[in-house]
Amino acid sequence: MAYLIQPDYVQYFCTCGQIKPITNLYFCRHCLKVRCGFCICHEVDSHYCANCLENMPSSEARLKKNRCSSCFDCPSCFHTLSTRATYAPARQDPAAGDAKVENKQPKKMYYLSCFNCRWTSRDVGIPDQPVASGGWPERTNPFANRFGQLLEYFKAIAQQEKQDKLDKERKKYAIRGKYITLTDKTGLTGAMARTTAGLPSSESSSSAIANFVPSQAKEEVEELPEDYHTKEVNLKLITTMPQRLASPEWQAQLVSRLQPIARPLSVKRSQRCRRCDHNLTKPEYNPGSIKFKIELLAYYHVPEVKIISFETIKPGCTTELLLKLTNPTAHEMQISIIQPDEVPEVEEKEEPKSIEKSLEKSLNLEKDTSWRQVIERKPLLPTTIKLHKPELSFTLAQRDDAAEYDDDSHHETNDIILWRKSNKLALRLKVTTDEEAKVGSPAVAILALQYSYRNTVPPTANSPQTRDHVLYTTVAIHLGTVTQ
Amino acid sequence: MTLYEGIALIQEKQAVVLDLGTDYTKFGFTGEAAPRCIIPSQFWCTKDRRYKRVHHYNSTEELYENLVQMLHLLYFRHVLVNPKERKVVVVESLLTTTQFRETLAKVLFMHYEVSGVTWWDSARACAATLGTPIVLVVNIGAKEAEVVAVVHGVPVVHAIQSEPLGAQTLHDNLARMLDEDNNAQLNLEPSVIEDIKVRTCFVPGRQLVAQLGGQCSSVRSVQYPRASGALTVSGRARALAAEPLFDRDREQASLPDAVLRCIRSCPIDTRRALAENVLVTGGGAALPGLKARLACELRHLVSQDPYKDSLHVAKFKFHSSPCEDNVCAWVGGALCGAADWGVRAAPRDQYLREPRLRDWACLLHNTPPDHHHHCP
Ligand SMILES: [Zn+2]
Ligand SMILES: [Zn+2]
Ligand SMILES: [Zn+2]
Ligand SMILES: [Zn+2]
Repeated sequence: MAYLIQPDYVQYFCTCGQIKPITNLYFCRHCLKVRCGFCICHEVDSHYCANCLENMPSSEARLKKNRCSSCFDCPSCFHTLSTRATYAPARQDPAAGDAKVENKQPKKMYYLSCFNCRWTSRDVGIPDQPVASGGWPERTNPFANRFGQLLEYFKAIAQQEKQDKLDKERKKYAIRGKYITLTDKTGLTGAMARTTAGLPSSESSSSAIANFVPSQAKEEVEELPEDYHTKEVNLKLITTMPQRLASPEWQAQLVSRLQPIARPLSVKRSQRCRRCDHNLTKPEYNPGSIKFKIELLAYYHVPEVKIISFETIKPGCTTELLLKLTNPTAHEMQISIIQPDEVPEVEEKEEPKSIEKSLEKSLNLEKDTSWRQVIERKPLLPTTIKLHKPELSFTLAQRDDAAEYDDDSHHETNDIILWRKSNKLALRLKVTTDEEAKVGSPAVAILALQYSYRNTVPPTANSPQTRDHVLYTTVAIHLGTVTQ
Repeated sequence: MTLYEGIALIQEKQAVVLDLGTDYTKFGFTGEAAPRCIIPSQFWCTKDRRYKRVHHYNSTEELYENLVQMLHLLYFRHVLVNPKERKVVVVESLLTTTQFRETLAKVLFMHYEVSGVTWWDSARACAATLGTPIVLVVNIGAKEAEVVAVVHGVPVVHAIQSEPLGAQTLHDNLARMLDEDNNAQLNLEPSVIEDIKVRTCFVPGRQLVAQLGGQCSSVRSVQYPRASGALTVSGRARALAAEPLFDRDREQASLPDAVLRCIRSCPIDTRRALAENVLVTGGGAALPGLKARLACELRHLVSQDPYKDSLHVAKFKFHSSPCEDNVCAWVGGALCGAADWGVRAAPRDQYLREPRLRDWACLLHNTPPDHHHHCP
């Protein structure tokens, strides 16, 4: 079980070698392997605003630079800003006199205010808006203009370089034979391609280079005012580093220059098994929903191990350990406890090389598995604490929500199985600690489970699956520290 | 250019630009004038239940995991795009270790399956924000201050100067002075020290330093509010925090010395142009008064030993880039990355065939083709 603030007492080994609590693991029903956040592929599924819970299509999100158009964060404390309404006093138009009575009606005006630190958009002189949402003045990057010039200049240079290279090549192969391609013959298509690609035409590129003005160096550097060091410093008027960095374009140094921050969007992610490309999780589209369309969590497929209690670990002693096992699946499970080194080396086998294979590879059809060599690693198992393997395998009933309310726990129990209830049972295990175990070092016992698993994925034509499998999982159990 | 290529260009996804600094990471898209985010180079480590810095690692495996976590944060929390099949422009120092470069390449190509990576050294990237052919880039980073001469798009590698005179040196010096001022071992958080530096410290002019002496009693002190009672930031701490940068006592390892040494090591016909095209940048250069002070020190020092006989430059001129100092290298990367359309990027399939990066320090890549040691 994993806890929010306590350490993880029981951790599982992922297929890739990472050690994580069961709540952080996934189970691929197609590979029948445990996966974790480190070894799966994450993908952006949908963009949404976490404040107003509005979805935003990805193309729109890209245009709006991943920011919500109606929510704002406080530039001072980063809390969400609220829109507040006031009644502006009706403007007395001297020319109209008091002829028109309905014009006197006070007009509703809106401003942004932070309920946390009391910052308001009025503090920095942003005029109140007549509409509740949107309409806030947009700022442009003060350097945008110069940046655009530089960008045009560099694009023109790159363009010219390319043109020169092409020209050179064309000269080299001046007599190319009778096959003249359309693009070679008419300069038209080349220019067209350039405009469609958003590149400047060759004439405009040379003019962009000619018209570009490089930065001019100056001899004088802006110095601090004479009395800078004797002036009083008011820290309340100077922004902090997080306040500056929250808007990278402006990085206001004075509090008076802060502006509301359009709220950054969040994404829902879907996750994929790298090996078989099947989805492991896929969220529902609705931002308000925390449910998933696909949710292959290890918590629903792998037997869960919890510690009930344990005796203090001492060097050279054999101590007892009480564990609780739970079967989360809807099928009966046959479990036996084995030593970690008894887990068979489940090499996810590479297909044998063949002519067809190399053909596929040349066509880039073959699945790219190069990631495996960098992601997967062999974990180092601590061996100071040895488990006494119980000569026993047992069945664990399927999860049955109705059985939770049954009281009959009259199952046979023995020295090892202390009690059973529906899909849970308690085990008494013995562990022996090495004489050499260092006092004060963390005591970690490793045990492995062999369990039967019924696959519920309907078999398809090209992957005829057997329904019943024997799977293994390795668990690290943290038993405090070794004490004298 | 053929039509076909033109279509390929349209479909190309906008590449991302990554500048993984020691303290802050800048991340965003090519062709944009500012990064989308500037965040501390750290991530929440669920295993250790604390923030872990990307650049704190003891092994390549640990670095690999750090980079995986950091990039996950950048892609899925800040820039919100899929890393797969998108190009990356990496902006890095010329002195980045091979271990770091190769591990980052591995993470990008293998773990995140990006389609191509272009490497830009920060010196050339900074120079690109000016559009001038010859630039002397003085980049004050978190750990090091680097001085690199960029001549017609090529960094003069043998003239590179790097001194441990980054923000960290200032922070250490400031922390020491704050301890002395308050007569206590304060053990302030690095973020608090940074905040004090950013909001109160400045670099006094050359004359003012001489005038103030060591005491700086005429400089206003500041009460820095904290939850556990206000802290006095004395005038001395405010004014002298950046003094190690100009301290010549340690074997002439000051920043102005590094600048002059760099110019002196460059080809003789470029020296004058370099001195007239200095760009002082990097997050550390944003401290009020620092650029003016450096200019003043340079003009003074060039007339002193050991430069007065060997270096004949009359004038120093300074540029300012069209961006904030702390994002200068990133902006250069965004410019260069957008201009060449990722043509220069090392493609993923090439990396998979031969996982080796081009590196100026490696003879394999920079032996001239007509040299008898060159191997194709
Ligand atoms: Zn894993
Ligand atoms: Zn919103
Ligand atoms: Zn606020
Ligand atoms: Zn799978």
